[in-house]
Amino acid sequence: MKRLLMIALICALPASASADETKKDRVSRLIEHVDDLWRGRSSEGVFEMRVVTKHYTRTMRMQSYSLGKDYSLVRILAPMKEKGTTTLKSNDDIYTYLPKTDRTIRLTSGMMMGSWMGSHFTNDDLVKESRLLDDYDAKLTFEGERGGESLLEITLTPKPDAAVVWGKIVLTLDAKTELPKSQVYYDEDMQVQRTMTLSDVAKMGGRTIPTRMRMVPADKPKEMTELVYEKMRFDTGLGESFFSISKLRRR
Amino acid sequence: MNAFTIGARSIGRNKRRTAATVGAMAFAGFFCIFYGALIEGMVKALERNALRMELGALQIHHPGYREDPDLYKRIEDTDAIVAALDAKGYGVSARWFGGGLVAGKTTSSGAQLRGIDPEREAGVTVVGSHVQAGAWISAEAPQGVVLGKRLAKTLRLGVGDEVVVLSSAADGSMANALYTVRGVLGPINEAVDRGGVFMTQQAFLELFVLDGGAHEIAVALPDGATLEGAKAEVAQLAGGAETLTWKELQPTLADMLEMSAAGQFIMMIVVYLAIAMVVLNAMLMSVFERIREFGVMKALGVTPRQVATVVFVEATAQATVASVIAVLVAWPVSKYFQTNGIDLTAFVQDVSVMGVAMDPVWYASPTVSNLVVSVVVLVIVTLVSALYPGVKAAIIRPVEAIHHR
Repeated sequence: MKRLLMIALICALPASASADETKKDRVSRLIEHVDDLWRGRSSEGVFEMRVVTKHYTRTMRMQSYSLGKDYSLVRILAPMKEKGTTTLKSNDDIYTYLPKTDRTIRLTSGMMMGSWMGSHFTNDDLVKESRLLDDYDAKLTFEGERGGESLLEITLTPKPDAAVVWGKIVLTLDAKTELPKSQVYYDEDMQVQRTMTLSDVAKMGGRTIPTRMRMVPADKPKEMTELVYEKMRFDTGLGESFFSISKLRRR
Repeated sequence: MNAFTIGARSIGRNKRRTAATVGAMAFAGFFCIFYGALIEGMVKALERNALRMELGALQIHHPGYREDPDLYKRIEDTDAIVAALDAKGYGVSARWFGGGLVAGKTTSSGAQLRGIDPEREAGVTVVGSHVQAGAWISAEAPQGVVLGKRLAKTLRLGVGDEVVVLSSAADGSMANALYTVRGVLGPINEAVDRGGVFMTQQAFLELFVLDGGAHEIAVALPDGATLEGAKAEVAQLAGGAETLTWKELQPTLADMLEMSAAGQFIMMIVVYLAIAMVVLNAMLMSVFERIREFGVMKALGVTPRQVATVVFVEATAQATVASVIAVLVAWPVSKYFQTNGIDLTAFVQDVSVMGVAMDPVWYASPTVSNLVVSVVVLVIVTLVSALYPGVKAAIIRPVEAIHHR
């Protein structure tokens, strides 16, 4: 799920040509920095996901793999009941492998807005994260002190013909470390829909990254989904074949 | 000599005319009673099919469930409510619903998963007896599911095939399980045909990680109970849950059934108008045939009122006899078709009205109220028809009448 943030940042790359040249360079550089921070060419990690809703609270341990922006794979390690359940994102498609029934299911378009593993992330988030690049324009909209912290703010606005669910996305970065601090999603009426906060900056796999991400839906402030990274490794040399559908089953 | 004796004698005098008139009246009465029973039978069958296929007479839900069905909006104290209604003689079935994805070998489709206790459900609906292939779900085989007709076709699944069900469980986990298609239903209604997957309560609760608390409790009424009376009683037992009658749940269907009743009423009017013409004709004929006779009566000092009375007495007597004949014939005939339906399978197979599958066998449903109304209307129509001939006879001029040929 870290991809979510990082791709959001990448999308700033093709900033509008009319934008001030230096600003564009600045945004590009920031995005590149954050992108490199998170992704590398490939990555492997272990994280814990805690989901709190009105109806349930659950904690899962998961293992994640990624290759570029087109492939990612997340497998549940615990609890036992769901162990081995795997989500594969391959370009725009999402497949779920269910060990209990030994089936791989490609999610239909109708299921994209559904919750991913019972969390506050949707399946659509998994796909759209890599498409933000094509769907949004990025602009540096704030730089300076706010609440005693020096911050940078980048606003992502959808391109006119982009089929996206958000009205805008606002990223906030720490001006000094240039690490992301929050990501706020607005709907088409410019009302806040959900907020992702990033914290607990730590060194992992040779990089300094925020290791805790918390997503809170605006209409249910008592609910949240939190990801905490335990381990991260970068540039592990995974190949495309690792992310094939046929391999989902054998693991 | 009074009007009654004269009337009685004139009836007896022209037996053929009397027989024709009485026959026409009796046929009208018969037609109305029998036709009424058939229409009533159709309306009842529609209602019964809607109720016995899915609705039940009453339904209990968590308030807000119907507006926004949600796995978590469940009826508290489901067991207590079911037990209390059971004790009062109602048919009660708790039901669980959840959306999900159902996948066959090659295709998948969205579906509505329905968890029920097949034994309890049989006390409310007959859906279990409409399995087209295979068998109905059974508590003994919790891994067997029954699919709606069109869903099975979409998924290209038949009895014995494996089917994977995928959804979100109540604890946020990915609900997924492998079942075997135990049966495929015949036509039930749009929703079931297209996306219904029936499974046992036990299998449903396990799949969705739930611990009871149904989404819906369907209630069938004991014999003789009225809908409104039952609603009051059930609502009290259901406590904070929402209790609605099928008419409130399906207002369009209720409206349509009422329209059928209105249609019956209009048909009745048409039939009685036709009968009125026949009676009027018969009465007029009998008056014209006897113009000389009436002329003589008036010449002898019989008052116009008495002459009219004679005509009315004749009409009433004939209507009475006709009514008795109509009832004696129509009632047993209607009763016969109540148990031996008219089989329409030769003409139609899958009939569905407003998304409710219809039984292709048409049963009559005779009611006493329909019988009484038919008879009363027959008598009134006869008397109204006798009005003109009666007045005509009363105001006849003796001199002209006596010379009438």
